[in-house]
Amino acid sequence: MSSSIDIATTALRRSQLYRRHIEMGAVFEPLSDGTAGDSAVVCHYGTNNQEQELTQAQHLGLADLSTLPRMGFKGLGAPDWAAAQGIQLPAQPNQATLQTDGTLVARLSQSELLLASNLNGLSESIESIAKTTQSARNSELPERVYSLPRSDSHSWLVLCGSRAAETLAKVCGVDLRPHKFANGEVAQTSIAKINGVLVRNDLGETLSYCIFSDSSSVEFLWDSLHDAMAEFKGAAIGIQALRDC
Amino acid sequence: MKLLTCPLNGLRNITEFTYGGEYHPMPDHQQASSREWAEHVFFHDNAAGVVIEWWCHSASSYWFLAERNTISDKILRTFPASEIFNQRIDFNPLPELTSTAPSTPPPTATQKGES
Repeated sequence: MSSSIDIATTALRRSQLYRRHIEMGAVFEPLSDGTAGDSAVVCHYGTNNQEQELTQAQHLGLADLSTLPRMGFKGLGAPDWAAAQGIQLPAQPNQATLQTDGTLVARLSQSELLLASNLNGLSESIESIAKTTQSARNSELPERVYSLPRSDSHSWLVLCGSRAAETLAKVCGVDLRPHKFANGEVAQTSIAKINGVLVRNDLGETLSYCIFSDSSSVEFLWDSLHDAMAEFKGAAIGIQALRDC
Repeated sequence: MKLLTCPLNGLRNITEFTYGGEYHPMPDHQQASSREWAEHVFFHDNAAGVVIEWWCHSASSYWFLAERNTISDKILRTFPASEIFNQRIDFNPLPELTSTAPSTPPPTATQKGES
């Protein structure tokens, strides 16, 4: 257990919630994403076995993926440039689509994109774009394409399970029930008074919502979602349960 | 709860929005006097009736325009700013203002001065 906590506290990238995770007895796994350096993510909590966490995820679970890679782009030239990089773009704003390698691409407006890696912290598109942009910042981006780094500014939570929509109904004004809010839809809205981007991204048959919100207030959002989940017996889950869904 | 329709995000609670002031057409920047600029930047009409206003959807930082009746507080329509701002404006000064060289005196005066 102590070696697992060491991974979380010594990694180059830490989630803003890592103290919460340690208090909850999280077991971390190392993650080398190739773009942002070594990091750690919660594998599971306490003495939960794989099956217990999977059952929790299918019922109602909250996971923190804030250390996984993600990035964004904005500008009138961004959609054409992203398509030239081989990224499949959603046709309309406020829609998201999965790439073949599991990268989630959300179109936040006609000219703004958000990319998030798969559950192993890997994404071919993010890695190849990061290589061209990290060395010289924006200078290697074409005209009218601007990078919007999201790894540090935004946290990434996943709320999943059959009671997830009911939980969100307590903290969010948008109707996110599965029959009203289809898989791949995006809502940029207020969640427990915190502005965020909410993407429905089902994991197999399990209803699942990704929530990207300001990292400076994610502890409040984490606590608020736990408060909302308590009524439905929701609990924190690790990333392994999401992979198993 | 009041509701407002964001052109990008659809119908949302009014608490998701921030008011951004009255919309005024910008005066011709090459011709406008200081007085006209001051009117445009600092002064507001505060009209009773139908006005156009800037609003921002905070969750997506999306600025758009809304037509609102300030007497009844009814929103008549909302629309993207690109309906009005549909071409790029380059703030180039008038040609004579870009020249730093002193103005050339009339030819006759120069000739007189040299002689």
